[in-house]
Parts: sequence; C-alpha cells; structure tokens
Amino acid sequence: MSDALDLRALSPDAANRGASSGDDTFPTYYEQPLLKRPHWGWEVVTYLFVGGIAGGSGMLIALADRTAGEDAALARNARYLSLALAAASPVILIKHLGRPERFHHMLRVVKFKSPMSMGVWGLIAFSAASSRAALAQAARDGLVPGWLAFLGPRWFTNPAQALVGAFLAGYTGVLISATAIPLWAKGKRHIPAASVCSGFGAACAANAALLALRNEASDSQRKLERVELVAGLAELAILLDFRRSAGALGAPMFDGARGRKLTNATLLGGIVLPALLNVLPFHPRWKTIATSALTLFGGYALRESFIEAGKTSADDPRAAFRQPE
Amino acid sequence: MATGFFTDTTLCIGCKACEVACKQWNQLPADGYAFSGNSYDNTMALGGTTWRHVAFVEQPAPLDAPPSESKWLMVSDVCKHCTHAGCLEACPTGAIVRNEFDSVYVQPDVCNGCGYCVPSCPFGVIDMIEHADYTRPSFPSDGRTDDDALQRHGGVAGKCTLCYDRQKVGFTPACAKACPTDSIEFGEVEELKARARTRVATLRARGVDARLYGIDEDNSIGDLNAFFLLTDRPATYNLPERPVLPSTHQPAAYGSAALAALALGAIGCLVFRASAP
Amino acid sequence: MPGLGTSFGRGGATTFVQDLQNADCILIEGSNFAECHPVAFRFVMKAKERGATVIHVDPRFTRTSAVADLYAPIRSGSDIVFLGALVNWVLTNERYFRDYVVAYTNASSLVREDFADTEDLDGIFSGWQAGETQAYDTATWAFELEEVPRFDGNGTVKVVKRDPTLQHPRCVLNVLRRHFARYTPEMVERVCGTSRDTFERICTLLADNSGRERTTAFAYAVGWTQHTVGVQYIRTAAILQMLLGNIGRPGGGIMALRGHADIQGATDIATLYDLLPGYLPMPSVHRDEQTLAAYLKANTKATGWWSNTPKYMVSLLKAFYGEAARAENDFAYEYLPQLTGDHSTLPTQVAMRDGLVRGFFVIGQNPMGSGMNNELGRAALAKLEWMVNVDSYETDTAAFWKAEGVDPSTVGTECFFIPTAALLEKNGTMTNTNRMLQWHDKALEPAGESKSDLWLIYDLGKRLRALYADSDDPKDRALLDLTWDYEHDDARERRRGEPSALKVLQEINGYRVEPGKHQDACEQVGGFTELAADGTTASGGWIYSGVCPDKTTNKARNRKADDWTSLGWGYSWPSNRRILYNRASADPAGKPWSERKKYVWWDAQTQTWTGVDVPDFPLGKAPDAAAKPGADGLDAHSGADPFIMQLDGRAQIFVAAGLKDGPLPTHYEPVESVVPNVLYAQQHNPTLREWRRRDNPLNGAVNPDFPYVLTTYRLTEHSGIMTRYVPWLAELQPALFVEIDPELAVAKNIRNGEWMTVRTAIGEIEGRALVSGRMRPLRLGRGQRVHQVGVPYNFGASGLIPGDSVGDLVPLVMEPNVSIQESKTMTCDVRPGRRAARTGSAINAAVPPADRAFEGQPTTRGLERKE
Ligand SMILES: Nc1nc2c(c(=O)[nH]1)N[C@H]1C(S)=C(S)[C@@H](COP(=O)(O)OP(=O)(O)OC[C@H]3O[C@@H](n4cnc5c(=O)[nH]c(N)nc54)[C@H](O)[C@@H]3O)O[C@H]1N2
Ligand SMILES: Nc1nc2c(c(=O)[nH]1)N[C@H]1C(S)=C(S)[C@@H](COP(=O)(O)OP(=O)(O)OC[C@H]3O[C@@H](n4cnc5c(=O)[nH]c(N)nc54)[C@H](O)[C@@H]3O)O[C@H]1N2
Ligand code: SF4
Ligand code: SF4
Ligand code: SF4
Ligand code: SF4
Ligand code: SF4
Ligand SMILES: [Mo]
Repeated sequence: MSDALDLRALSPDAANRGASSGDDTFPTYYEQPLLKRPHWGWEVVTYLFVGGIAGGSGMLIALADRTAGEDAALARNARYLSLALAAASPVILIKHLGRPERFHHMLRVVKFKSPMSMGVWGLIAFSAASSRAALAQAARDGLVPGWLAFLGPRWFTNPAQALVGAFLAGYTGVLISATAIPLWAKGKRHIPAASVCSGFGAACAANAALLALRNEASDSQRKLERVELVAGLAELAILLDFRRSAGALGAPMFDGARGRKLTNATLLGGIVLPALLNVLPFHPRWKTIATSALTLFGGYALRESFIEAGKTSADDPRAAFRQPE
Repeated sequence: MATGFFTDTTLCIGCKACEVACKQWNQLPADGYAFSGNSYDNTMALGGTTWRHVAFVEQPAPLDAPPSESKWLMVSDVCKHCTHAGCLEACPTGAIVRNEFDSVYVQPDVCNGCGYCVPSCPFGVIDMIEHADYTRPSFPSDGRTDDDALQRHGGVAGKCTLCYDRQKVGFTPACAKACPTDSIEFGEVEELKARARTRVATLRARGVDARLYGIDEDNSIGDLNAFFLLTDRPATYNLPERPVLPSTHQPAAYGSAALAALALGAIGCLVFRASAP
Repeated sequence: MPGLGTSFGRGGATTFVQDLQNADCILIEGSNFAECHPVAFRFVMKAKERGATVIHVDPRFTRTSAVADLYAPIRSGSDIVFLGALVNWVLTNERYFRDYVVAYTNASSLVREDFADTEDLDGIFSGWQAGETQAYDTATWAFELEEVPRFDGNGTVKVVKRDPTLQHPRCVLNVLRRHFARYTPEMVERVCGTSRDTFERICTLLADNSGRERTTAFAYAVGWTQHTVGVQYIRTAAILQMLLGNIGRPGGGIMALRGHADIQGATDIATLYDLLPGYLPMPSVHRDEQTLAAYLKANTKATGWWSNTPKYMVSLLKAFYGEAARAENDFAYEYLPQLTGDHSTLPTQVAMRDGLVRGFFVIGQNPMGSGMNNELGRAALAKLEWMVNVDSYETDTAAFWKAEGVDPSTVGTECFFIPTAALLEKNGTMTNTNRMLQWHDKALEPAGESKSDLWLIYDLGKRLRALYADSDDPKDRALLDLTWDYEHDDARERRRGEPSALKVLQEINGYRVEPGKHQDACEQVGGFTELAADGTTASGGWIYSGVCPDKTTNKARNRKADDWTSLGWGYSWPSNRRILYNRASADPAGKPWSERKKYVWWDAQTQTWTGVDVPDFPLGKAPDAAAKPGADGLDAHSGADPFIMQLDGRAQIFVAAGLKDGPLPTHYEPVESVVPNVLYAQQHNPTLREWRRRDNPLNGAVNPDFPYVLTTYRLTEHSGIMTRYVPWLAELQPALFVEIDPELAVAKNIRNGEWMTVRTAIGEIEGRALVSGRMRPLRLGRGQRVHQVGVPYNFGASGLIPGDSVGDLVPLVMEPNVSIQESKTMTCDVRPGRRAARTGSAINAAVPPADRAFEGQPTTRGLERKE
C-alpha cells in the first residue's frame, strides 16, 4: 500500500470529513441525528385526525344552517358529532401525556406563542360551544327539556363553532409546522392548509356517511359530496405542491415505503378514488358510505404520514444543519 | 443577571468530567452500556438524562501529510439557553420558564410530558425522560427521596438546568466546576462574550481558524447564553449551521390555514345555498 | 525512580505541575498527560494559552496529541534513539546552555581511561562479566581522579579531575558526543519511524525554548517506565534537560507524573520491598550490611546530602523500636529483615506459582486486573494456602477461583475478603505527584463493617503482639518491641478501634526522644536537619520531617493557595520545596539567569538565598563559597553546586554508580520487537531479567507469528474496578476495545465496532475493534511498515462492563534496576472475531520445571550477539 493512502477514506469516521466541501454536503456526526424525534404515537395521530373532523363539522353546522332547514338533519348530526369528538379529544390527548395526572397544567397559562396552548384553549372553547349547541339541539329534538335551548342560541354557537372549528382543523398543522423538524417547518405553507382541507373533507365524509347510514337528507349528502370533492382536490393540489417545494426535505414523507403509503392511502385512495366515485352520476347508499370511509381513512393516513415522516426527518442531520427559514 | 457558559473547544481535552459531574449532581441514570465504535463517544448525544455531552470528531491527516495535521476535535455540548428559546415558546404548561439567571429552566413538577418542546428545540437538546422504576435508581443514592427521583425522572422533559439549584446558593454549575482546563467557563454572559471575542482574536492571530458560535450571529434565536468557540464549521460538531426559531413559522402557518378555511368556507357557502324559493 | 535519582539526587519529579504554566515549551513523551492526568493538564493548557508550544510524542494520536501544537508518532520502544538523537543534535549544533552545563553538570569530569563505550563494544559497556555473574562490574564506569590538598591542609584528598574547557577527549561531554554520534535524524526515521522533518522541528523548538530567557519542561509517566530499558529512557531525558539547562528552573524540569493518587507516598514511606522509609536502602544479606555500622558505612556518602544517612537511619530505628533501640544493641538494627533476593511483585508471583509462598495479603491492588501473565497468576493464587483481599470491591483477584474456565472445586486456597473504607471514609494523607502531602478528613462513616486500612494493620499488629506476648524467643522481639500505640484521642473512633492517622504522621515527622516519656508527650522535631544519629531523635521517614513541627501543627492541612508556588498549600517534601535543585535557577554568581526566569537567588544584603520557593541550598552559603576538598557533606561542595544530594554537587550526565545497565543510555530493542536492533549487535538490554519457563513464553525478537507492535495504556474514563462499578463512568467507555489503524483493519478484515482478538504467546483477549486514522502505520526509514495495536488496560471480568484484562497478554520480564515489567511494548497478532473460551488448565497443571529459575528468581538475559 502506498504512503499516500488517504486514511480518512478508510476510516469509519469518513463521514466527519470535508469541512471544505460545498455548502449542502455537510460533514455529519457519525450520521447521528441532530434533532430529537417527537415522541408522539398513535394518540397524537388520532387526535390530529379527530380534531380535524370535529372542527370541520363545526364549520359544516353554520353552512347547513344557511339553507333554511333544507339541511337540518345535517346540522343536527354535525352538532352531536362535534360534541362527541370534542369530548373524545382530551381523553386521547391526556393519554399521550408523559404525566397524565398533570393534564390540567395546560390550563395554567394562555400562551399565544405556543400553538399547543392555543390549541388547548381552542379545544376548550370548541367544546364549550359544541356542548351548548348540542344541548340546544337536544332540547329541540325533545331529548331534554325544551327551555334548555336558550343555552345554545344558534346566532352564537354557529359562528363560534365555525370559527373555532376552522381553527381546530388548522392549528394542528400549525403546531407541527412551527417546530424545528425540517419536513414540518418546510411545510409551513402546506401542512396547515392541507390539514384544514383534510379535516373539512373528512368532516363532510363523516357527516355524509351518518346521513347515508340513517338514510336521510340525500340532498345534503350530495352537497357534502360536492364540498368534499373540492376539499379533496385542494388537499391534493397542496400536497403535490408541498412535495415539489420540499425537494429533498420531503423525502421522508414522499419517498420510499412511506411515500407509497401516502400515495396509495391518501392521494389515490383518500382523494382521487372518492372524487371519482363522487362524480359518478348515480348515488347508492353504499357508494356514499364507501367514499366516506375512503376519505376518512385517507385523512388518518395523512396525519400518520405527517407524524411518522416528521420522526424520520428529525433523524436526518443534513436536513437539520440548515433549517428551513 | 444573565449567567451562562462560554465553551472554548480549543481547551477541551475530552475528559468528560463535565458529563459525569452533571450526571452526579443531578443524579441522572446512565443511559446504557453500548459500545458505539464512534471514536471515544459512547453516549452520542444530549438527551433527557444526558445534559452534557462530549463529542469527538476525528480528522486524521492522510499518511502523506505531516502527522501533526491530524485533528481530534472535542466539544462539550449543552443546552444553549437561547435568548429566544423554541422549547420555552412551545411549552403549553408554562413548565419551561426563564429564571432569574436568564436560564431556560424546566420545572419538573409542572411539566406534564406533552412532548412539544422536544421537536421545538432547533438544537435537538431537550428530550423526554423515559418512565422507569427510579424508585430504585441504578446508582447509589445521595440521600434524595424517592419522590424527588420520581418527580425528576418519570415522563417529563429533561435538559440542563444551568444548575439552577447550585446557582441559587452561589455555586458554580457542576460541569464548569469539574472542567480541569476551563474549557467550560461559567459567568456573567456579557463578560463571557467580551472574553470570547478577545480569545477569538488571540487564536486567529496564532493562525487558528477560530470562530464563535451562538453570539454575534444574525438569526432568529438571538444570542445563546451557552455559546461556543469552534475551529470548524458547526455541522462538524453536530450543531446546526443556521438554527431557526420555530415560532417564526407561525405567521405563514396560521396564514395558510386561514386561507384554506376561508376558501373552503366560501365554496361551502356556494354549495350550501337555500334552493331557489 | 533511579533515572532521576542518579541524575539529580532525588528520585522524584524535579518540579511541580503548577509550574508547567511557566514553560515556553513542553515536551510530553511517554505519557498520555491529558487523559491520565487531566487535572494537572490544566497547567499545560495554561502554558499553551500563554503562548508555549506543546509537543506530544506517542505511538498513538491521543487526547493529549489533539491539543498539542505538534504531534510526532513514534514506534513504541524506540525513545532512546529519539532522545539520543536530540542530544546529538543539541551537541553537534552547539545549542546546549554552555554556562549551565559547565557549572552545574559533570560534563567537564574526565571519565576513566579504561572505560569502554557501547560504540566501542557494539552495544555493551566495559565490565561485562559472562558466566555465572551475568552482570556488569561497574568499576570502569568511573571518573579519573586527581589529588588535591585537603581544605584544612592535612594532606591530600582525591577528587574528580575536570576540564572546564570541555576540550579533553575523555571529558563527559565528549564521551557523550561519541556515544550518541550515530543517533541521527536518519536513524530516528529508521528506528522510530518519525519523519526527519517532524524530528528536526522538535529539535529546533527545544533549543529555541531553552537558555537564559526561556525554559522547556519535559513530562513523562509510564509510557517511558514500563520498558526493559525504562530507567535509561528517563536518563536520556535527564541528560537532554541538563544540556539545555532546564533543571531547577521555573518552567523547566522533568515532570514525572506519578500514577495512583498516593503512589508517591507509597514509595516515600516505603511499600517497595527494597526500601525503608525515606529511600534508605533495605539491608541485604548479599551486601556487607549485617551490622548497623556496616550498613551505615555502605550507605553513607562522604560528600553531599547522603553524608547524613546515620541520622536518618538511627532516627528511623528509634521510631520503629522506641526504648528497645539503644546504642548498645545497634539501635535494634538486627530486628530489620534483610533481603535475600528480588522480592518485588513479579518474582513473588512466580515463587507463588512454584509453591514457595503460603499466604498472600492483597491490599488495594488487583493483580489479576493489572498484572502480567494472568494465566500463571491464577495458577499462582491457586497454589496458596490462604489469601486475604482488602478492598472495597470483590476484585478479579479476590474472585480468581471463579474466573472463566476455573473449576472452584479444584482451588484449595482459603480466601478471605475484608471490606475496606474508601478514601472519603477515613482520615489521612496522600502524597501527590508534586511530592506534596495533603491531609484529607473523613467525610462519611464507612459503609457497613468496613474499616480503614490503617485499622487493619494496627489491629493485626495488636493481635499478633498479643499472640506472641509470652514468647521469649529473641526473634519475636522484633514484633514485641515495636512502638505500636496510635490510639485515637476521639473516644468514638477509639471504640471503633480506629487508630489515629495523625499520630502516625507525627511519628513520621519525628520527635525528640525523652527517656521514659511516651512519644505523644515528646516534643516534635521541626525538620530533618534536627535529626541526630545518637538516638536522641526518632523519625519514621526523614523526608517528611517538618510536616508536623509541633503537636498542634499539621502542614499537610494547609490550604492557602496562590496561582503559582502556593507554599501555603499542603506540604511538599523536602522542607516544603516545590522545585528541586532550585539553586540552579540562579547563575553561579547567585543572580537569576534572567529576569524572566527568576526563582531563587542570593540576596547579598541579607546574605541568604531567597525567592518564591524554599531554596534547595544551605541558606547562608554564599555563591562564591569555595569547595572544601575533604570536608564532610555539603562543605565539600562550592556555593555554586546546586545538586546537593550528589557527591560532587552536580547533575550527572555520566552516572558512575547506581545503575545496573550502563552509565549512559543506550538503545536496546524491547524483549518483544518487530525489528532487529540496527544500532548494535546486542538486541536487548543484556541486564534485563526474565523467566525462561514454559508457562511464561515470549514472542521473542522479530517473530513473524507476531508481526505487530502491541502497547497498553489507560483511559480517562476508567481506573479499574472502581470505575467499572460506576454507571456514569461505565457508560462512557462500556467495552474493552482495541485500537488499530485502517490499513491493518483492511488487511485483516476487521470491522470497526465488531469483535476482534489479540494474541501473544502468553494468551489471547478479545475486544471491540476501534479502527481509527489516529493510529498511523509507520514506515521505518525506507523499509518496513510497522502497525501498532493499542489496548487499554483498565478492564477486567468484574463490574458493570466486564471485559478481558490485558494481563492475559503481557509476559513476565523485568527491567534490571527497578524490576518493572515491559507492558508498554510487546508484539502480537490480531484477527477478527472472538477468542476461544478459557480452560483454566494451568491451575492444575504440574509446575513446569524451571529451566534456570530458583525460588522464583529471574535470570539475566545476558549477551546475544548478532553475527
Ligand atoms: N483515568 C486514569 N488516569 C490514571 C490512571 C488510570 O487508570 N485512569 N492510572 C494512573 C496511573 S497508576 C499511572 S501510572 C498513570 C500513567 O500515566 P501515563 O503514563 O500517562 O498513561 P498510559 O496510558 O499508561 O501510557 C502513556 C502513553 O504511553 C504511550 N506509549 C506506549 N509505548 C510508548 C513508548 O515506547 N514511547 C512513548 N513515548 N510512549 C509510549 C501510550 O500510547 C500512552 O499514550 O496514570 C494515572 N492516571
Ligand atoms: N498491561 C499493563 N499493565 C499495567 C499497567 C499498564 O500500563 N499496562 N500499568 C501498571 C501500573 S502503572 C499500575 S500503578 C498498576 C495498577 O494496578 P492496581 O493497583 O492493581 O490497579 P487498580 O485497579 O487501580 O487497583 C487498585 C485497587 O485498590 C482498591 N482500593 C481503592 N482505594 C482503596 C483503599 O483505600 N484501600 C484499599 N485497601 N483498597 C483500595 C480498588 O478498589 C482497586 O481494587 O497496573 C500496572 N499494570
Ligand atoms: S437549546 Fe433547545 S432546549 Fe435549550 S433553551 Fe434553546 S431551545 Fe430550549
Ligand atoms: S413536555 Fe413538559 S416542558 Fe416540554 S412542552 Fe410539554 S409541558 Fe412543557
Ligand atoms: S449546568 Fe448543571 S445541569 Fe447544566 S450541564 Fe452543567 S452540570 Fe448539568
Ligand atoms: S470537563 Fe472540560 S475538558 Fe473535560 S470534556 Fe468537559 S469541557 Fe472538555
Ligand atoms: S482522578 Fe483524582 S488524581 Fe486523577 S485527575 Fe482526577 S482529581 Fe486528579
Ligand atoms: Mo501506576
């Protein structure tokens, strides 16, 4: 062997080499992650998904109430659904805490800089509005004494649920975007918007399915399908644009096995296929239910992609050296 | 008064006394006994129960170059106690506070383990402390109660406290105290900065490619109360070349969400119209 | 440390670590300073900050190299060539500090005409006795004498003949020139594998940073000592520092970095088998030392400090035997045991193996973790009747009977384990590398039933004395007449049986004997100058005398520091001096060599020596005081002779007496080497000692089966079993690893992080491969490629992170002067994968017939000449 042999090339620490190399080829520290992986698992994925449907349903109520009773069944279902989901959310959230018995520590502060704090208060506000709305709905439906309806006047609950609902559907996207995880930060213009679309679409799907299951208000079902179609296509467009703009940073989400899963479960199965089904001119119940199931599944898969790809992105030191501005 | 660290890597001999002193003072458990094969670094990174970490970067000279050109860089990494701290901004419980020493401090009895600070640190510092049976610590107890151990060790976020407890009684942080070569200098931040600038000038005059990391930089984090003197680019030491404060992403993120909601609301309004009377 | 002792007078570092900050250049060779002495390294970094150049010469690029300004790789075992070439370079380029050399060293002394150098005899000096003796007759390693009139006019006296012009061909400097003439930069390239460029840069740096205005310090540790020529490594460095004029001066000196926290104390107050406290030699049956008079005659020097031997010896005997030591009975001199041979660790281990040792106390040592030839070692322990381990942990030694492959039912040794109090659980002193005693107070009660080591020895002594109380056998008087009364003044400690460590220290300091009075009631002596040879004083270790000058003062407790000499901190022997021989920091006229390097000087006004340290010189002896030929002790020296311990008051470039392997250092290859000795026909140190027996096989010289150099060393993260039980340290270096260069890894198909095996003739161990470009294959001249393999020695079977012990690779061989093993340079082979399981077969194997061994005693290697 020659004396000129470059020991660095042979060394296992070859990765450390090259301070002089170009700006984007970084030396890494034994390929070790720079950032820490988020510790979030299925609970957080589920919450992002559920919160999206709850928020989307909140928006739908106001829309449904615009039509002078044509979509009353939808409004009613959506009120109950948003309450149910708003009630389930804290349970899931508390479950994911490292110290669940201290969940109420979230209530010590209101912190505008922290999307999670904002989200907690948003969820509380949404729950308050939703429970009043649902109570009033129950009064109207004769399930509880009628006078209780005054607790949830629609002039108050509808805009409240719509606005806070929109926030609820979107802030989860803000929450993950406003981190150091390169993929998420890179997606700050896409992830929140995609979350809103996906949440809204999923809310449409969930409500359409509920109506279909109870076999009522087929007009409302058609409207929901139309809105869902638009939301889905918007989501698709946003995700494709995200993929384009993220470049290499998008790899954990869009490439490899996880990319294939995203394509199959969300882009094709959760958006394109439901869209095709929606535009078919005939409307059997099973189709509505199947379309909704596909959309919902796609929505869940999207959240799972976000979280899991975020973890992989955290593991990539090169992505973290020069963090997305 | 803001206190902090000036870590001068040109003085570090990689003895890891800081790492051990930190674990001992804070009664943090060992993280396992795995051999990494990565130079002399077997703990590999900061974490929930490793609040100082000494990194070893080998840059051996090629055989045809003088042996003295070989380099073995060492740096003792720690929480940066950022002026604008991602972890602090993110924390929804207010567990993370800025204390009277201007350090970013996690109150272990307030943290509820939401985990949001973890991806919010641009330096990958803070991490969750796994649940474990710390009632029987893997190390000889120094007499602290089990409650205390549990308080500190179960399911909460952990990182350097800048030895808040020691500072309160006028002690130097354990790591700085243990550092034999003063690679870790503890003190009043402004004073440290002045010293650091002089030191860089001295080293440059001697032909050392010295640079400061974490102060006098134009980024969203602002100055770091724990800053460094490096002799290679930051990435070499597993430090971000350009850290970004996560909350700076919020306007765009909220904006895009709002835009999407408005657009969908508008579409919804178009669709949900009372049929013509 | 006879390397330093014979050169300068005292066997300890000539300086103190805090003074390294004043150096302009620091050469670290033979030590991984930063890793093994991190706290002391603070002062190297301080020097560096102040602009000093730090050089590290080591086979491996270590954490020390990482912060050094200049790193030079070297083939392990070749330092004498490196240092000898430095000497040669300094001489040929006339870069030595001439004024210093002429005045303060024996450079001008004339060597006897019949002395023959290794250059003349191809690798041996004159005086080699073949046949039975196998040793040097050192008669010719001496100076030419001349007769001068006695100072008092009573006849004449013989003194060493000198040529201050340094012209005489036989003056030491010229003998030295010839001796090292072939140690050239080319030779360095060829033998050490260090490039000429790097080597010459080091030469220039050392020379540029020495002289009146500047000083260079050397630091070494066991990277230089654990060799069969270890003492001569240090001698070469000593010669170089003499030539550069760096001894006794601030920022100069030779910093011998001592190992264990109290290893200095252990040699001072003598755990070494051949020393009594204070470096008084242990009497030997092989020398004419059977009576006190004979002993004193043999060990008292006419001139220099050692003219005081009788005071120290008699005071020691008084401290040992109190009233029973009287002038009439030679102060009970005959109670002292006398040496019959080499009873150092390795020969004792072999004797044990051969069934010649019945019982074994192991106190604070773990030979199965840190020893050599563990296979033989385990078999040796199995041959004992009983073994007592005194430790805080069950060491590999205590657990040898259940080691891998050993069937406990076949081990007959009765094993006792006595838990001991750890450092913080007891009072006492430790003497650090600055020769500084520091007192430590007990901070915690000992865990469980542990007691201090002092208790153990004291209590054992009490019990033995009780058992023999009724004996009238004269030989038992040695036990019964001991002063054995160190009862603690604190009632609680007394109840626990703990003796008073302070009283022991007070006795070491010494007191004025008053007949009939208990020593606790006697007056302390203020220092060793007050000791007397007539039995009126007692002192358990004269060099420490002064630490407790009265019953209420304990200078080891002093804690007043400044940022340099800190005379108010602790107590450094002798007499709280920090830099030894500091008279040399002033020129012969008593003025500092330069303002910059001012330290101790003659104050003409007060007519005393003064400065920032305690002067190492008679305080009132003027620089121009003439030597008084024929006078006793220091009076024979002039006021310009700084090395007061030496016969002639000077540093010894040429050592006439005290070394077994030569008056000047000579390069010999290690016992196990991958190359032949290119300088001489003689391959190894002819005086090295070894055991030629089947259970101690050697790889031998240039053995193709063992083509790689092997060295062993420490890690900052570990010491031994103590650290292997500390989770915080264990996680930092959790496995034994083997450092190899990438080229070797590729050639041997060894992958980083995976298992690999290292093999020598002694045995094999496994570890994880750490492949690193920090290990540089060396090219020797234009020839052979040498790969070096490094293994940390801090591992063993016990603890949280068990790993093999390198003791399973190291053979038993010994340096001739200090009986140290050669664990820094060996040869080995490596392969990927794990080792074979151990069988423990040696334990039950018959004792292999010793070829030439008698009672475990080693034999001398002797001459082996290449054709
Ligand atoms: N952390 C820690 N510190 C310790 C100890 C410990 O166990 N752990 N032990 C203490 C003890 S007991 C001692 S004695 C000291 C020892 O202190 P050092 O002597 O500094 O320590 P080592 O690591 O044994 O060896 C020093 C260096 O010698 C190099 N070397 C090997 N062969 C040669 C050679 O032929 N020439 C030259 N120039 N260098 C060579 C090795 O590569 C190694 O880097 O450390 C003390 N300090
Ligand atoms: N291959 C190879 N072998 C070597 C060396 C090398 O470099 N290479 N270095 C050599 C050197 S320099 C040395 S010094 C030796 C060291 O060899 P050892 O002295 O055998 O090494 P340690 O493992 O430090 O063992 C010290 C023991 O003392 C115990 N101990 C600590 N404090 C106390 C106390 O207060 N009282 C008592 N009773 N016990 C206590 C510890 O628990 C530990 O078991 O190893 C030598 N062996
Ligand atoms: S470095 Fe990370 S953990 Fe430390 S203060 Fe800054 S953001 Fe927080
Ligand atoms: S894990 Fe604890 S410290 Fe971190 S953000 Fe959540 S509550 Fe705050
Ligand atoms: S300041 Fe204290 S907590 Fe922080 S790294 Fe240092 S020792 Fe650990
Ligand atoms: S204690 Fe100081 S010198 Fe040692 S590793 Fe830590 S920073 Fe470096
Ligand atoms: S372990 Fe003790 S002796 Fe060794 S460097 Fe640390 S303080 Fe000094
Ligand atoms: Mo040692």
